[in-house]
Parts: sequence; C-alpha cells; structure tokens
Amino acid sequence: MSQPAEQLKPRPIGWDGKTLKEMTEESARLFEETGRYYGVEDLTLLREQPILYEKIFSRLRGGLVNARSTALNISASPIVRELGELSFALYTPEGDSIALSTGIIVHVHTMSDAIKYMIRNNYEEVPGIREGYVFCNNNSMIGDVHTADVHTIIPIFHEGELLGWAAGVTHEVDVGGINPGSMCYGHADRYGDGILVSSELVGENDEFYEHYLQRCRECVRGEMYWVLDEKTRLTGAQMARRQLLRTVEEVGVDTFKTFMREAIEEGRRTFLERSKLMLVPGRYEAPSFTDLPWQDDVNVHNNARKDMMMHAPLSMTVKGDGQVEMSFEGANKWDYHSFNCAPSPMQGAMWVQLTQTLWNSDKINDGAYFATDLKLPYGSWANPDWEKVSTTLTWFFLIPGWSGMIRSLGRSYFARGYLEDISASYCTSWNLMQGGGPNQYGVDGAFTNFEVSCGGTGALYVNDGQTACAAMWNPEGDMGEVESWESMEPLLYLGRGVKPSTGGPGKYRGGTGSEAVRMLYNAPYQTIFNGGEGHTFSSYGIFGGYPGCSGYRHNMHGTDMRERIARQEELPTLDGDPEDSGISARCNAEVENFDMKAIQGPKQFEEYDVYLSMNRGGPGLGDPLERDPAAVVADINAGEVLARFARSLYGVEMDRGEDGSYVLDAAKTEQTRQAMRQQRLDRAEDAKDFFDRQRQRVLDKDFIKPVRDMYKSSMDLSAEWNEKFREFWDLPADWSL
Amino acid sequence: MQKSYIMSMDAGGTMTDVFFVDRDGKFVVGKAQTTPDDESEGFAHSCADALKQWGKTPEQVFPEVITGIYSGTSMLNRLLERKGQNLGVIVTAGQEDYFRLERGIQTYLGYSYQDRLKVVTHRHNEPIVPRSQMTGVRGRIDCFGNEAIPLYENEVRDAVRKLIAAKVQGIVVNLLYSYANSAHEQRVREIALEEMAEAGVEIPTYLSSDLYPVMQDFARLNTVAVEAYAAEPSRGQFRRIADRVQNFGGDTQLRVMASHGGTISIDAKELARTLISGPIGGMVGARYIADKLGEKNIVCSDIGGTSFDLGLITDGEFTMKAQPDMARFMLKLPLIDIDSVGSGTGSYARVNPVSNRIEIGPDSAGSKVGMCNPQASETVPTLSDCNVLLGNLNPYNFLGGDVVLDPDAAYRGIKEHIADPLGLDPYEAAEGVLELFEDHLRNEVFARIFGKGYSPDDYILYGYGGGGPLHVCGYTKGLKFSDVIVPAWAAGFSAFGCACADFEYRIDRTVNAAFPASEIDPAGFEAAFEGYAKPVNAAWAELEKRVADEFDKSGIDSSQVEFKHYARVQYVGQLNDVEVLVDFDRVSGPEDMQQIIDRFEYAYAKAYSRAARSPELGYQTTNVVVTGTVPVEKPELPVEELAGETPPEEARKEGRKVFRGGQWLDADVFDMDKVRPGNRFRAVTILESPATTLVIPPGFEAYLDEHRLFHLKETK
Repeated sequence: MSQPAEQLKPRPIGWDGKTLKEMTEESARLFEETGRYYGVEDLTLLREQPILYEKIFSRLRGGLVNARSTALNISASPIVRELGELSFALYTPEGDSIALSTGIIVHVHTMSDAIKYMIRNNYEEVPGIREGYVFCNNNSMIGDVHTADVHTIIPIFHEGELLGWAAGVTHEVDVGGINPGSMCYGHADRYGDGILVSSELVGENDEFYEHYLQRCRECVRGEMYWVLDEKTRLTGAQMARRQLLRTVEEVGVDTFKTFMREAIEEGRRTFLERSKLMLVPGRYEAPSFTDLPWQDDVNVHNNARKDMMMHAPLSMTVKGDGQVEMSFEGANKWDYHSFNCAPSPMQGAMWVQLTQTLWNSDKINDGAYFATDLKLPYGSWANPDWEKVSTTLTWFFLIPGWSGMIRSLGRSYFARGYLEDISASYCTSWNLMQGGGPNQYGVDGAFTNFEVSCGGTGALYVNDGQTACAAMWNPEGDMGEVESWESMEPLLYLGRGVKPSTGGPGKYRGGTGSEAVRMLYNAPYQTIFNGGEGHTFSSYGIFGGYPGCSGYRHNMHGTDMRERIARQEELPTLDGDPEDSGISARCNAEVENFDMKAIQGPKQFEEYDVYLSMNRGGPGLGDPLERDPAAVVADINAGEVLARFARSLYGVEMDRGEDGSYVLDAAKTEQTRQAMRQQRLDRAEDAKDFFDRQRQRVLDKDFIKPVRDMYKSSMDLSAEWNEKFREFWDLPADWSL
Repeated sequence: MQKSYIMSMDAGGTMTDVFFVDRDGKFVVGKAQTTPDDESEGFAHSCADALKQWGKTPEQVFPEVITGIYSGTSMLNRLLERKGQNLGVIVTAGQEDYFRLERGIQTYLGYSYQDRLKVVTHRHNEPIVPRSQMTGVRGRIDCFGNEAIPLYENEVRDAVRKLIAAKVQGIVVNLLYSYANSAHEQRVREIALEEMAEAGVEIPTYLSSDLYPVMQDFARLNTVAVEAYAAEPSRGQFRRIADRVQNFGGDTQLRVMASHGGTISIDAKELARTLISGPIGGMVGARYIADKLGEKNIVCSDIGGTSFDLGLITDGEFTMKAQPDMARFMLKLPLIDIDSVGSGTGSYARVNPVSNRIEIGPDSAGSKVGMCNPQASETVPTLSDCNVLLGNLNPYNFLGGDVVLDPDAAYRGIKEHIADPLGLDPYEAAEGVLELFEDHLRNEVFARIFGKGYSPDDYILYGYGGGGPLHVCGYTKGLKFSDVIVPAWAAGFSAFGCACADFEYRIDRTVNAAFPASEIDPAGFEAAFEGYAKPVNAAWAELEKRVADEFDKSGIDSSQVEFKHYARVQYVGQLNDVEVLVDFDRVSGPEDMQQIIDRFEYAYAKAYSRAARSPELGYQTTNVVVTGTVPVEKPELPVEELAGETPPEEARKEGRKVFRGGQWLDADVFDMDKVRPGNRFRAVTILESPATTLVIPPGFEAYLDEHRLFHLKETK
C-alpha cells in the first residue's frame, strides 16, 4: 500500500490529534475520577434530541443485524450458517462497544479486549493501524473465549481519524489442535491448542494477505470452513463499517462522536437503574462444582491423569447504587487440562448472561461493563498465572461456574415480585460431540456437532422449562438438521429424540434434554470425544427444585451392528432409560463403556462402533411434591419423565388405562404425598445438630480426595476464602488440609 | 360476447375482498364478511357488493370473466389454530420426536431482537401431529443416496396398520435422504397401499421425495406435513368457490396465488405454497406494471397495520428464498423474498421508564388502530394516534368514515405516555415518533438495496398498502430513488397484483453436482462435464415432465408451456446458494457450465465483498428448478386522458392544518378518486381515499400520470 510521504512517519490517528493510547488512558482516568464513562455528565444529545439519538442507535444496530444475516450466507459451516454462531459489533476508538448484532454476543466484550490489547501494545506505531487493514485474533489470553472463536477486526477511518472499529466473530469447525474438533482436549498445555493468531495484522486494502490464508489452510483441518468463515467475518465487518460511515455522513462527525460516548454512559446508567428496579441489594452466594475423573483415562496427558474437581464459589453483590459485583474468590488453581479460562471469557460469560436476563434490551452495549465488577483470583482456573495453559474448552468450567448467577438473580427477582423472569438457571451444554479423521469423502476431516446448543431450559416460576431449546452461550440455540450433520460427520444417526427424565424435577420441571445414537459408517476410523459432567450436578435447581440429571458415557466398540443389519435384527435407535438401555439391548460389543466418565479424552472409534450423545435437561423449580399430579402423569405418558420416578420423586400414584397409558389415582396420590411429607418431618433434625454433624466431618477431613484437593487448592490460593471457610465452620487455628 | 373481466379475491380472516377489473383497467372492489365454514358464501356477497358499483350482478358479469384468482388466509389460519387434518407420519426409526424437538430456531422465529436474546420467552410449537401417530421404520439411505441399512418392511406394515387403526386422514412419509434416493419411500407407499387394500380403506399418502425432493429432513417434513395438514383441506373450499363461479355462469378455471409469485390450479399437487400469498400480490402487481413501463429494478414497500413488508425486484426477477419460515415453521418451498422489516401503523409507541428512551413496537394494536379509536379500549398510543394528532389522517375518513377517530384521545395518550416523560410538546413528540419510524424504514430500504450491491438510484420504489402512501415520502427522503410511485389504487394493490400473476408452476429438486473453476483447473473443469451434466439434465427433464403433468390437469398441452431452467449455485461446501437463470434447457457442453459460473459470480460479487470470492473451491449446483408458464389474460394498465395541472374543484375537500417541522401548515385536501391524470400537487397536499391517505409533505411534489400512478419527487 503506497502512502503519501507525510504519512510515512506515524501521525496520531485518535481524535483531536491524540494517539489511541492517550485516548484510552484519558477514558480510564475520567472514569476513575468521575465514575462515569469518559466523564460524561449530561446526556446532552439524548436529552435535547431524543429522536436523533434513537435514529443513530437504530441505524447502527440495524446495520449490524443486517451484516450478520447477509454475511452468514458466505460460510460453509453449519455452525455459522444454520446455528448462527457469529456476531458483529461496533466499537469506539478505545474498543468499547456501542452496539451489537444478535448471535454469540458473549464476544462483544472479548473483541473489546482484543482491540484494547492492540492499543496497549502500540499497534498504532507498529504495524500501524490504517484504513483497509484487517486484524485477526483468537487468543483468549488477549481477548477471546477459546481458540475456536476467531475475530476479524477492522478500523473505521473518517478523514484520517480513527472513528471506531467494526468486528465480527465466528466459531470454527476445527482450529488445527493436536486432535480434530474445534475444542480438543486431553493435552497438557497450550502447545496442543491449535493455530493461534494474536491480534495480528492479516490483510490490507480490505483483503486478506494470501500468505495468511495459506498459513491457515496448512494449519487446520477442513480448511474450506476456516477460509470461508474469514470471508464471512470480513464481509460483515465491512458492511457494519459502511453503515457507520453512512450515519456519520448524515448526522455529522461531531454529533456522532458525542453519540458514541453518551450511548455507553447511557447504557451504564440504564443498567444501574434496571438493577435498582429489579434486584435487592446484598450478597448472594451460589457456588458450583464440576468433575474431571481422569485418573484412569489413558487418552489424556500424564500430567492430567487424576480425578479433579472444579470449584466456582460465585458470589454476587448488589450495591445500593445498582452496581453489581461478581466474585470468584476461592476458585481453585488451574491445571494441565484445557478448561482453564482467561479473564476475557469470564467477562464475556457474565455479559452474555446479563443480556439474557437483567439487561435484556435491544439497546445493549458496553455500558454494562462499566456498571459491573468482576473479581477473578489470580492463579485460579478463572485467571491462570501461567500463560501457556490450554484453553480450548474453557466452557467446560465456565458454564457450570456461572450457573449460580441466574439463581442469584432469581432469588432477587422473587423478592421484588418479578416472578415471570425467574429461571432455575440454564442446563450445562453437554454432551459435546466432536472429533474427526478420514471421512466419508476420503479426506481428513473434523467436526463439532452443535446439537449441544439445544439443551433443556431451566424451569420458570410460572412454567416448565422448554425441551431442547437453547444454550447458555447462545440464547438462539438450534440443533440443525440430521441431513446437514451427516453430510459433515461419517456417523449415521440411528436416532435423535427426547431423553426422558433429564429435566430437573420440581413444582415446575426443567426442560427435557435430548439424545442421539450414532454409528460410525463409511469411514475407517474417527477420533471422538465425550464431553460433560458425570459425577456432579452443575446446575442445581431453585426453591426446592432438583437439578437436571448429569450425563453418562455409553459407547460400543467392536460391535455386531453389521451382522445385525444383514440379518434385519433390531437395531438401537435411542438409549432411553439407562437402567433399561436401548443400546445394550440391541447391540453387542467387545468393549462397552457404560459409566459416569462423561468427559473422555480423544478416543478412536471404528466403523460400526456406536456412540451416545446425550444433551442435558434444565434444572427444576419448587418442591416436586407441589407439582400438579396430572402434569406428572401427562409427562410420563408423553415420555418426558420415566414412570419409575412418579412415586419416588413426585409422590404420584398411577394405574394403567386400557390403552396402556397411565391414569392418575388422585386419592392414593394424596395419601402418598402426605406420607412423604410425614417422612420428611420424621427425618428432620435441628439445624444446629445438622451443622454440628457436618462440622465434625470437616474437622475429620472426611472428604474424598478430589474434593479435598479442590478445597486445599482454594485455600492455598486465597487467604480470604480460607478465612471465610474457617469462619463458617468455626475451625480451630491448627486445622489445615 | 367478448370476455373482458378479470376477478381476483382475497379471503382474509375477517373480510373477503373481491376485485374486478375490465379491459380498460377500470376496477371495483367489493367487501363482505368472511364465512370460514363455506368461503364461497362470503365470496358471493363480496362479488355482489363489488358489481353493484357498476350496476351489475354476478350473473351478468361472470360469463365474461376470463380469469379468476384466489388468495386467502384460511389455510394459514387452519395451521395457526391447529385445526387441520388428523395425520399419521412415517419417518426413519429413531426420529419420531421431530415435532417435539423441532429445531431450537422454531422456539423464537418471528421474535423481536430483545426476545430472541431472552430465553425465558422461547416456546416450542404445539405439534401438528400427536406423538402417538409419529411412527418410525428402520432402514437408511446415506448422504450419497446409497442404501446403508435395508428397509425393515415388517416395521412399515406395523406402522401403516397402526395409523389405519388411528383413523388418520393422511399419511406423510419422510425418510432421511429420500431426495437423493427415493426407493425406500416408494416402497413404503407400495406397502401402505397393500395394507390399505387389506383393511378396505383409502388414505392419501404424501411422500417427501415426491412433493419436495430437497435436502434437510426436518424442514422438508414440516413442508409435507403442513401441506397435508392445512393446505389439502382447502381443496374443498376451492371447489365450492369454483362451483359458485359456475353457478354465476362463469366457465373460467379458478387458480390460486402461490408463494413463488405465480398462480396454480386448484388441482395442483403442491398446495402448501398457497399458504403464503398476502404480501406477494403487491409484488406481482408492481412487477407487472414495471414490466409494462419498461422498468427493471423495483423496491416494493407495503405498510399495513402491523408490519412493513419489503421486497426487491432486480433485473425484472424476484429473489427466491428456498427455505423460508412461516407461522413459526421452517419450510422448504420457494417463496418470493419479502420480509417484514418493521412496524406498521398500528404499532405502539412508548417511552421505556428505565432508560427514558422511545420504543416503537414490536407489538401492535393492529386493526384496533389506537387510543383515538372510540370503539377500542387501547391504553397505549400508536403511530396512527400520532398521524391523527398531527392532521395527517382525517378522523372522519377512516375506513371511509365508518369509524370516527378522536384526536383528543390521541393527544391525551401521546402527552401522557410519550411527551411528558421526555419533556417534549405532544405535537413535537408525535412528529418525532413518526420520524423515528420512517427513519428506521428508510434504513431498511437502503440496507436491502445495498445488500444486493446496488444503490437506490438504480431502483424505482413503489409504496402501497393502507399505510404506505402516508409515510412513503418519509422513508424515501434523501435516498435518491430514480422514481417513487404510489398507485392510486394503493389500498387494493394486493388484489390487483394477484390478477396480474402468471399461470405458472415451479418445481425444485436437490441434485448436488459440482465442477472446479475453469480459471483455476481448466482440465478438471472440462473433465467434469459428463459427471455434472448427467444428473442436472436428468433432473431438469423430470421437472419439466412434472410441470407438464400439472398443466395437463388443466387441459393445457405442454407445447403451450414456456419452460425456464434454473440452477441454484454456491461455492462447493457453502450452505447458501444463489439462483441462476440459464438460457439453455440442457447442459450440453463446458460453455454452458461457464455460463453458470459467470452468472453466479456476477450475482455473488454484487451481494458480497470482493474478498468473499472463492473460486478455488469450485462450483456446486445444489438444486435445479424448472418453471413453466402459460400466458393468461391480465388487467390492462389504465390509460386515461391527461387533464391540466390543476386538480378539478369537485375533487377538493375541506382543507386542514397539519403539523410538520415543528409548525402548523395549511394543507390542501383532495379526494384521491376524483383527481385527474395530469394534475400536479405541491406541498402540503393530502389525497384521501376510503382506505388510504397520501401525504405530500414540504420538500415533495407529486404528479398523477395517465396510468393513475402518482410520481413523487423531492423539490430540494
């Protein structure tokens, strides 16, 4: 790109002759001094010209939504095209978001971090930030969730001045990790994570450098997906840029600049107002845990071969002025697995949850960032102190880690009477089916099946959760079409259906999950992962509701499926009730892996091997004994709930009708429920006695090893949490793990 | 007797409109209550209502009717109200939960931005087939169309027997990859026929490979099921209407408006596409006029009470969506690309109490108009309230004066809900709300054109519908369209459009055939010819035959049919294709393949950035399409003698004040039906007809041409 002579020496590109670094420092200083974004005190534009203000906003947002819906047509990846795993946003020169499209908006703040990284590291001088430059990032230590999410970021110039940034993100099918699939794990550290692009200059003149695309092609499996997604993001970002510039042309650059700052400050204030309106000040505790049973998993690295637990002691504090603080103080240490999180994804996760709940609005932007605080203890899994940790599947800890936030909000809504907004939280988004190998087209392929974005949703205060509906990270979940997935993955669907009793029981039950039974076909072998919790419940239910069920592993290696097909014998379609497994009954295998080790490292499957992918249900709300008995019977007849749980969980008694369906025995149900309530009373003890007994267990260090290791790690990392734990259990000074 | 009338009808949820147009382009519109149990009754009343304006009876006119077109919402209502046929479904074993799982996207289709983000609002659809009547049979075809697991015929027999016992009215069959190999579905039908014969029953069977042989099993199932559930029962309604026509002495064949923009016979095989016809009529009408006037690029904009619908005609062609959604179902049928992109005149306007920012819609008072309607008990002001308050709408002209609106109620509503919270004057607030509304529409209009790779000066914009003429100046201002047109019959434009539609069938089929780029791999390109041409040519031949068979039902020989051939093309691996019209009917050499490349690249480059080109991946034809058209009589465009620039005095109505740019201005008011071609109108002028109002605000002027089309022009 030839530059006029006077541009050869760098000239500040920020506003009023400032560098971006100066602008960013000024912004931080003004916020520090005044508590307001850029020190904006009076929202002049909004106050004096509310219509114009709204027009500008509506234009930018409209431009982003259109950019997203147009650009996704370029992609080859069902993850992007059909499941909508992409989003676009506009930023101020300092990298604060003004407006965003729908989609995986978890990234609105991660892209912000990536821009701020460039500013901090003097990109303005080297490599320079110029019109038509294209930057790419997928480094979560800089600003991203994990390697699979790739950003394209372009600067927007107006008369030589950097007016802002446009950016887009997509989730990739494969990122060239040590094993196929977009989020492989089982390796010890970052060296297996795949291609890393660290806020890199990857093109100019609005086009990619060919050498950059070539490097990507050489580094990833299914290179077509990567390359077309690059083009998807760039096209969308360019559309958003054009819309911004068109708006500037119409309203004038000074008005636009004012708007940008006011929009964020207004977002901040609106968030605070909403928080004051809907929440009750105070501290809310909602810890969660997840299991990593890798002691015996030969598929993972030696350093990771142990049984581990993740500790997420989430505490939400609502202040009198509406400011919301989230703290993970007490989280345990990172480890040699791929589930570590950098601060950027933690911030993004909070963001995505706020936009679905407290700050659900069509006017969201980075204002919320300035109205919230996030505390992430350094050295923990949520803020590792070693930059070479692996982060390919950050979500595995992050999803359960944040589930308590929704319950905390629910408790607060309850206190304020916002009953329709209460949710028992989301389900964990597992099983994550991914992998690859020589595929049905005779080439080396990779896949990530995003059916997982349709889990059962949490029960509401007024209704049951929805069956197979959404994911924590993307409210616009979609499970795609069987024919679409099969054209990517060499595995036949033997069945895909509702998985009964996966939703958490309650007065309102959690939404039911689903399952798919797959058979490797038309390919010699594939590496496939299982991903999800098996020994713990990660999303617990609220007001007496139960958690949704955790997962399990059920895979068949060396099967008789080929012979069964030839003999036209019964074949498995769904696994159904694992205690009466459809797979075990209709398939014999040399090796049957049927256990709670629901997260398994990369494992080889051969043709005709059978794989179960079970997606979770949502947690429940309220006491199951308060559930309308007729609803329980209807659930059982509909296959949402297994009949064997009618009495044990709900105290519901049934008979069989003539057509084989169940009929409620109302009188007997009432008796059973009475008896169950009495049993509860009989079992009850004084709370003090209960705590005394539990305290004795703590004094005796009566924990299984992974739990003991987990607490020890939390205490070693955080004196504050150590103190809190000791104080709660009233432990003697010489007690330690 | 020379036949000279065209009739089209639109049976809406509440009213049935019938439109008659004569050879000279003169027309009448009749209205009557819709009679859902037997729509032909409402139709007959509406015909009488229309024709009495000419002093005639249906019996006098129908013998001279050449063409009769039906469009209506009864099929859609049947679907929305879940009052369709009792169906049984046979799917690949293990997939029986299709309608329970749906796809997540169906839990938020049609939602606003805000609700799409808010999971607690997402809801599954009530299944249109009960789970107990979803049956599965083992057997698998793989993605290449090869048999992976043979069909378990005993399971098919069990399934059919079960559905016969359940007394289903139709059996839908949708097996995985049946579009690539229909052998298993065909066999299911054979077995079903055997079992039905055994049981002594006859139940129609709908095979997905027969009706919609296109990829994507769930959307395909939706389409076939909706067809059998909601569309099929309409055949009875069509017959009854056709009988009425006959009783009136007519011998014309009744045709139905379909989603691809053509009309099809009431005996057509694929009726599901007639579910969506409302907004399409206007686009067909606009294309017809544009074609007559030699115009190629048209923006169609239609504002009703609840939505703003927008569609583009580029190079004289509609853009087709191959996978549209309707009534919260993902479907696989061709639909003219027309989107609801904004609010309508009945949309609510509010100030958010938390952020103190104005919000318009997404909900709407619809036909209840707003707080100004004394017959409704609305509590939130709407855009119509703003229009009444500012003088844009005549309170005594609403629906021809049937309802008298109350500007004071509008004032109070706007003051309380919008102006006071924002600290604005109520009139300024109302004007601000309308500006915001129009600005949003303006952006959407621009975005669509821009997304096609064009600019507004390449297009002529048509504004119609009840609210289009009221706001058209606002949403076109500054965009520099080459012309902005409002037909004087804007409110009845959809019915007019239906009468302009071709008699046309269109059938799509998935083929998935590919070749490399000639510019990158010339040898591979040449070598790919046979492998590419064979499936494409075979599919085109099959589709031509199917189109010919459909025309055959109407007694039309295939020699009269004009066939067009299309390929839907993408770079290999992509998931979104572009429809390419070719000028040959068989691929007979590499030069034909090159034409497909050239036309695809042209359209692709228009829509996306330069950086998005990817010829290195090669070109894949996903689906092929054949359309067949036979010429039918269409309305003439009216041609009237030009009068002078000054509107006749008898057209003048009492003037009034309108609030514009922060001040009250004097507006001339005319009766739209009485002004004359050649008349010119300067700001501020309001032209009123019973169902629509055209406002010419400061900065605009209008001219009525000899076809009764208003041309709006910016004066500065």
